[in-house]
Amino acid sequence: MKKKHFSTIYLVFVFLLLYIPIFYLIFYSFNKGGDMNHFTGFTWQHYAELFADKRMIIIVLNTLLVALLSSLIATLVGTMGAIGISARRQRKVKSALLTLNNVLMVSPDVIIGASFLILFTALGISLGFGSVLISHIAFSIPIVVLLVLPKVNEMDSSLINAAMDLGATRWQTFSRVIVPFIAPGIFSGFFMAFTYSLDDFAVTFFVTGNGFATLAVEIYSRARQGISLEINALSAVMFVFALILVVGYYFIEQYSQSRRHKKKSGKATLGTEVMLP
Amino acid sequence: MVKPIIELKNITKRYDDGFTALENINMTIEPGKFYSLLGPSGSGKTTILRIIAGFTDATEGTVIFEDQKINDLPANRRKVNTVFQNYALFPHMDVFDNVAFGLTLKKKPVKEIRERVLNALKTVQLPGYANREISELSGGQQQRVAIARAIVNEPKVLLLDEPLSALDMKLRKDMQYELRELQQRLKITFIFVTHDQEEALAMSDEIFVMNDGKVLQSGTPVDIYDEPINHFVANFIGESNIVPGKMIDDFQVEFVGKTFECADAGMRHGEKVEVVLRPEDLDITKPEQGKLVVEVDTQLFRGDHFEIVGYDEDGNEWLIHSTNPVRDGKKIGLTFEPEDIHVMRFGEKEADFDARLEQYEED
Amino acid sequence: MKKTRSFFMVPYLAWILLFVITPLILILYQSFTNSAGQFTFQNYVTYGTSWVYLKMSLNSFWYALLITVVTLLISYPTAYFLSKTKRQQLWLLLIILPTWINLLLKTYAFIGLLSQTGSVNQFLTFIGIGPQQLLFSNSSFLLVASYIEIPFMILPIYNAIVQLDPALVNASRDLGATNFQTFSKVIFPLTLSGVKAGIQAVFIPSLSLFMITRLIGGNRVITLGTAIEEHFMTTMNWGMGSTIGVILIVMMFIIMLLTNDRKKKHREVIVDEKETL
Repeated sequence: MKKKHFSTIYLVFVFLLLYIPIFYLIFYSFNKGGDMNHFTGFTWQHYAELFADKRMIIIVLNTLLVALLSSLIATLVGTMGAIGISARRQRKVKSALLTLNNVLMVSPDVIIGASFLILFTALGISLGFGSVLISHIAFSIPIVVLLVLPKVNEMDSSLINAAMDLGATRWQTFSRVIVPFIAPGIFSGFFMAFTYSLDDFAVTFFVTGNGFATLAVEIYSRARQGISLEINALSAVMFVFALILVVGYYFIEQYSQSRRHKKKSGKATLGTEVMLP
Repeated sequence: MVKPIIELKNITKRYDDGFTALENINMTIEPGKFYSLLGPSGSGKTTILRIIAGFTDATEGTVIFEDQKINDLPANRRKVNTVFQNYALFPHMDVFDNVAFGLTLKKKPVKEIRERVLNALKTVQLPGYANREISELSGGQQQRVAIARAIVNEPKVLLLDEPLSALDMKLRKDMQYELRELQQRLKITFIFVTHDQEEALAMSDEIFVMNDGKVLQSGTPVDIYDEPINHFVANFIGESNIVPGKMIDDFQVEFVGKTFECADAGMRHGEKVEVVLRPEDLDITKPEQGKLVVEVDTQLFRGDHFEIVGYDEDGNEWLIHSTNPVRDGKKIGLTFEPEDIHVMRFGEKEADFDARLEQYEED
Repeated sequence: MKKTRSFFMVPYLAWILLFVITPLILILYQSFTNSAGQFTFQNYVTYGTSWVYLKMSLNSFWYALLITVVTLLISYPTAYFLSKTKRQQLWLLLIILPTWINLLLKTYAFIGLLSQTGSVNQFLTFIGIGPQQLLFSNSSFLLVASYIEIPFMILPIYNAIVQLDPALVNASRDLGATNFQTFSKVIFPLTLSGVKAGIQAVFIPSLSLFMITRLIGGNRVITLGTAIEEHFMTTMNWGMGSTIGVILIVMMFIIMLLTNDRKKKHREVIVDEKETL
């Protein structure tokens, strides 16, 4: 019993550690005083400023647009890639493809950013919306592949044989058996690509040029100038947004898992495993 | 002779790494019969099924379906359906959609599909399960859905790839009856792959015993049980006492130092052979009245009989099935009839074996 | 089927060629050029002979190591206790949620927390130690980076722990092992794969976290990431920046080699073999 106590205390301590900075930010977003040291009174003022900030709103819309477009395209390319990789018979080819796939997964952001900057310069692509979008597609593809691939591999080859056996053509097999089967992988791939894009700072920072900014880049440049409670207000908004996304994803995952394993009491760990941006 | 529905001619399957899964397989499958491909794992039986279904190509040889060569016909256009070992039910569809899959692809009218699917589910004794999710079904129920999904398409041949191997003993016995009954009702050909000799003996009209990519022996269950061609078949099918022997003359064989009358002939005089005696053919008697004398080593009660292991003076092990118990360490006599003795030649091919049998049985 | 599958691979293979292989070649090529674009070994000579660069590399490595050790020490018990709790899914969700807040916002929170008149210093004053220079110190970089990386260490370890067959723990107890022996001889060795994955997930990014050093660590260049950013974005010396990038890539490969899970690869091979049968 004593041990139980200790572990609970330890866990609570770690969680406090994780959440104090975030709640600290949100708390001071309501501060009349204008800094993050002394709370002098409650105000919505910083939120009003945030929503009146046209530049900020355009940046938010840009960020969402980049995230949406890049994740859609990355999902398409990545899913096709995963199916292709899985179909490779030779083990060496497979593992070579996977290694190449994972290069961008393990590369530090600065390397990706710097090398893409060189690439765009070499190709004569001007920096801005286009270069940011292309970069986001590029670094999202491997995560889509990694999330779709297990589903493709999980699919027993006898399922495809069964479809063919029952008279399905290649296209019918693909659209009626393969795609529905790997759909959960495709969804989580899309979802992760979306959050990767929203979350990225370092790569965007390198390839964004002067005219175009995403939210992360904007926060960076404002934070370098010092404390502005408009950023606090922004983080509160983003926290709520993230909360909704995570909880929503969690419930979708739980729902689809319970549908799939109504009788098996399988642990729903896989779903959360992929939720790391 | 009935016109065959499937013929395999000189089928060989070799993999890129040089492994030969099948070697010169010839098979004739007649309509409306229950066939079993019986053999240990790795014997190539599933490969034959996959070649018939069209999931894999034969390296050499011809696959003929109703007089048409179908080597190049893709799986989705063959008039055979498969019940897969792991059932391969589509997890994202419910029972109805799984069973309806083949008919939906053929764009049958909705009403007809519905009728036929419900009928098929009734046939496999799962009425009322149409809207269940696959994950809600037990292994036995999944098995039935897999069968329904295949037979709803009214295939001419149903291929079953060890469909009972994942079920527990009792369910398996029940399903053996049901499958046999189903086959007789539908009057279509079943080709059933199994490594379980009891299953094959119980259900089949004809069995192909396989090992190492070759068909060792084919025939009715009774023929194969009574007259196994070689040591492997004798051992694999049923329980056997196999002892070395010598052919003295036609209908006379010597083993354990004595000469016995037997029902086999057509071999060279003095030829070294192997002698098979089934444990249930051995009767226990007093030592002085026995054709053979063995000393009892162990005895197990099997419910309907006792299983006794003993050793003769040469050290050969003898397995005896008896309704009455004996005492450990006791010497007992064994008697048997001449027809209970089955003599096997070393390295005899099935064709020669059949020819020899035919020759002296006519005499 | 073969043709369809090859067609599937086209966009994916194009991506590998253009955004995985080409950038690597370009950054390697760039590292052998000077600011006039001529071929030279000068960058490597400078790197190898300049005490500044060597010291910075060692420093960066040292900090990444410290961050990894700190996060590991906090995360392993957390993951272990987490695997014993009742509402694991909820706890896990709480661990994951902070990773969804943009890391710049979290870093920004520490600007407030650690500032001269910030909450931490208020607390230090309150208990009588008096205000300290917290911001723009190396230890503040260590603190913030560890804070950000903790969830990325917890999750792989947690996943390894829940995959551990409880029967093995029981077997160990049954055979007379104490709790500590069970932990050191059974649980820890069997969850080592998770620890290695965690180290990969933390160590490599820690080499390159330039935004944290910029915002928290002051403008001093103390990591390889910061140096790269400086050379690419400020001094515009891409050649030298690429050279440091190549060094970083080499370091990354060394880490990957050291922490690569051979057992996992072996398992994949077995699965492959099953498929081909």
